[in-house]
Amino acid sequence: MAESILDVVNLKKHFPTKRGLVRAIDDITFHMAPGDTLGLVGESGSGKTTTAQCVVGMYAPTAGEIRFKGEPIGMTFKRRSRPLKGDLRIVFQDPGSSLNPKRTIKQILSVPLKVHGIGTRHDRLSRLKALLEMVELPADEYLYKYPQGIGGGEKQMVAIARALATNPSFILLDEPTSALDVSVQGKIINLLLRLRKELNLTYLFITHDLSLMRNVSSRVAIMYLGKLCEIAPTVDFFQHPWHPYTRMLLSSIPVVSDEEEALKPTKQSSKGEIPSPVDIPPGCSFESRCREKGVRCSQDDPAMVEVAAGHFVRCHSAGEGDLSTWGLR
Amino acid sequence: MALLEVKDLHVGYRIFEGDLHVLHGVRLEVNEGERVGLVGETGCGKTTTVKSILRVLPIPPARVMSGEILYRGRDVLSMRPHEVRDLRRREITAIFQDPLQALNPVFTIGTQLRDILKDSTLHSGGRRLAKKEIHSRCITALEETGMPDPERIMTNYPIQLSGGMRQRVCIAEALSRKAQLLLADEPTTNLDVTIQDQILRKLDELVDEKGSSVLMITHSMGVVRDLTQRLHVMYAGTIVEVGPTKVVMAHPAHPYTQGLMRSVPRLTGAGISEGIPGRIPNYLRPPSGCRFHPRCEHAMPICEQEAPPFFDVGESHLAACFLYRR
Amino acid sequence: MRQERKADFLASLAQRRRSLAKGWYKFSRNPLSVIGLVVLVLIGLAAGLAPHITPYPAHARAFTNFKEAGLPPSGEHLFGTDRIGRDVFTRVIFGYRFSLLLGIVVLGLGVAPGVVLGLLAGYHRGTWIETAIMRVTDVFLAVPPLVLALAITAMLTPNLLNEMFAIALLWWPWYCRLVFSVASSLRSQFFVREAELSGASESHILFREMLPNCLAPILTKMTLDMGIVILLGASLSFIGLGVQPPTPCLGTMVADGAKRLPGEWWSTIFPALAIVIVILAFNLVGDGLRDVFSVEEV
Repeated sequence: MAESILDVVNLKKHFPTKRGLVRAIDDITFHMAPGDTLGLVGESGSGKTTTAQCVVGMYAPTAGEIRFKGEPIGMTFKRRSRPLKGDLRIVFQDPGSSLNPKRTIKQILSVPLKVHGIGTRHDRLSRLKALLEMVELPADEYLYKYPQGIGGGEKQMVAIARALATNPSFILLDEPTSALDVSVQGKIINLLLRLRKELNLTYLFITHDLSLMRNVSSRVAIMYLGKLCEIAPTVDFFQHPWHPYTRMLLSSIPVVSDEEEALKPTKQSSKGEIPSPVDIPPGCSFESRCREKGVRCSQDDPAMVEVAAGHFVRCHSAGEGDLSTWGLR
Repeated sequence: MALLEVKDLHVGYRIFEGDLHVLHGVRLEVNEGERVGLVGETGCGKTTTVKSILRVLPIPPARVMSGEILYRGRDVLSMRPHEVRDLRRREITAIFQDPLQALNPVFTIGTQLRDILKDSTLHSGGRRLAKKEIHSRCITALEETGMPDPERIMTNYPIQLSGGMRQRVCIAEALSRKAQLLLADEPTTNLDVTIQDQILRKLDELVDEKGSSVLMITHSMGVVRDLTQRLHVMYAGTIVEVGPTKVVMAHPAHPYTQGLMRSVPRLTGAGISEGIPGRIPNYLRPPSGCRFHPRCEHAMPICEQEAPPFFDVGESHLAACFLYRR
Repeated sequence: MRQERKADFLASLAQRRRSLAKGWYKFSRNPLSVIGLVVLVLIGLAAGLAPHITPYPAHARAFTNFKEAGLPPSGEHLFGTDRIGRDVFTRVIFGYRFSLLLGIVVLGLGVAPGVVLGLLAGYHRGTWIETAIMRVTDVFLAVPPLVLALAITAMLTPNLLNEMFAIALLWWPWYCRLVFSVASSLRSQFFVREAELSGASESHILFREMLPNCLAPILTKMTLDMGIVILLGASLSFIGLGVQPPTPCLGTMVADGAKRLPGEWWSTIFPALAIVIVILAFNLVGDGLRDVFSVEEV
């Protein structure tokens, strides 16, 4: 892979609990090039949040490697260097609790500046104003407010400004707009896309919202029970979804028009419950809910197969039959 | 006569900074056997409306300033406590967003379901049921919601079940009351997308079977599309548009609805709009006239002066906007 | 540049003033809390200005006047005189001095270590640090407070200083536990995570991120505790293990006067009432503070 910015190789993260071993991440591999926007999509128990937590340093992997700009970073934040912590940042999901309610916006934004020694005491104020301007919030008004005094969308913009304070090259966005109304979401997403272009950023987007990824990401990856099911460039992904779980997800999306309804796969409607990540049976982890399973599915775990350029699928049926017969229906 | 009619409801809240005029003339209708949606974003007043219908508004600091809520012609707001209880027991039932809060964590599912069944049959003039019969009715109710292994679920505690299963239990509880009107307040917002799909389809089936009427409250346009026949769009404490669901979504008349529909990310990949400029109004000093006018690209002088009434924009399709004044 | 900084300073000040105004509004909605506050302010002023406003300041030191002993309340002696002729009113006001001083010093000494330990234990939840701190706290909490205070003062010479020291030692575990419970739930909040991942130091996280969120219960508890500390001090003096005569102490005065009930009731009742009033005032203010910190849901 020519100069990727992030390499995740055979990553595993297991949590020993009283009920058994939780395989939150069970051997995933993917690479990101600079300027990419990868949408990592999954439901509860998929492991997408744990993946984000490993990348950003909340957990150290149980096995496998994570490399950032070629350097290994498979360790917790305590062992990471300060420049790394400034280069790889995260924006959290819940704007309500990602800003300290007892501190003003000015104090909140000053923290990364002080910690990373950016600017001097004298130009701090102008840097703070510049940060707020970058996310299109009127600085004079907002610097002195408390988080309770501003709306959810604006809180997220402050969180983004905070992430940008250290001039990062990579930002991890953990469901940044899930808690927001749809009319505010557009503003935040467009802001993120503009900033990506202006500041040459790379984004790893964690979400469950496929419709959003259709419009935002350059590549999409689906996770289920700790493993990657499918990963492909966006347009290819939506036009030729292969994995049965991908098609189950797509057919479950609540859409708002007949046009979109026509794009949804029909034969793979949702059934069954998401199993607990403790008791994963042998064979393919999706077998219990799959409508197209074969004999091998309960015995062998499938491997990733490249079915088209840059389009990988982990399914026993992959590689059999050609792409056009699978299509959307 | 409509089953449920909310007429010109005005509700306010008193806080430190002053009086919030939250609901500003809400009008809403659900007819017998109809499925109606109420869609709106955070802070638009949907929850306040639901609470007013169920008479669970915290009074004070809230107060009903004017208006009526008629259920089968009787004003809910002036009912006495025991009448309200009867209403909740036999006529209107609700399912909420967080089933973990709606279910009592220290009792098994079985205990809770049995309690509800006993209560509802006793007070609808039925005879006392034998233990066995209550149990089998509970099992049937759970099976109807698509719950796997209902016998085992009856012995479980809410915390042992997944979100989807808990919501199925809540649906079973609600439907076993055989109520006429089901209020569903964001019933699937906290669930995974594949589970949400199953629950919504099952709800659709069951409501059809039992002939109940539904008022579905949500912020998700996609959810109302499949489940409801008629849609109310709410903004800043008023209803801005009402009409057949698919028509409102495909041909939105009110600028706010248009903005909303533009903001929803589409599977077709058409890109994401900038959303709707501005913020929701401050209820302390709400805009005069039409509450949406500060954010509206079509605003005219009259929009600031008067609150627009409903105008006809199509078959059974109304919008509260002066653009449609003849 | 300077103008910018001035604007910045003024804006921060304005924000602070707004928060205070809102706090006062919430506090003043309860008339009882306001009454409590007024009473406290009066008592505080009286205690502070004691030598200047009391009619017989000399009576607060070694003084005897058997000719005027045992006089009932009158124009010259508002609360009457005690068995050796000292003006009860003066001694009550001076007694307030010591009670308040006791409360302030004890809380000053006892709260700070408790808070720091609680923050540490909460932040390092799940590690040996938490276990060590909380188990030591448990040990201290297991001993009945009065017994421990008695033991300590009995071991050392009974005087005001040792009394304060003994009670302060009793107090820190309560704050440790209180702060621990708030801190351990704060631990998993995103803003704390964010600070860690940014590279902020532990002391920044403990004192700048977590502590401001713990202040509400701490301040409320401190106000309510003042009353309890004063009562504890009075109890120790009542048994004779606190401030020694001739220093006026409300507890000792109650004890001395009790022997003379029901005859010379004024030498007991007034000091006792004084204790009740100050504790009640603190409690009312504490209730008001709880209202100030409660978040209104709309």
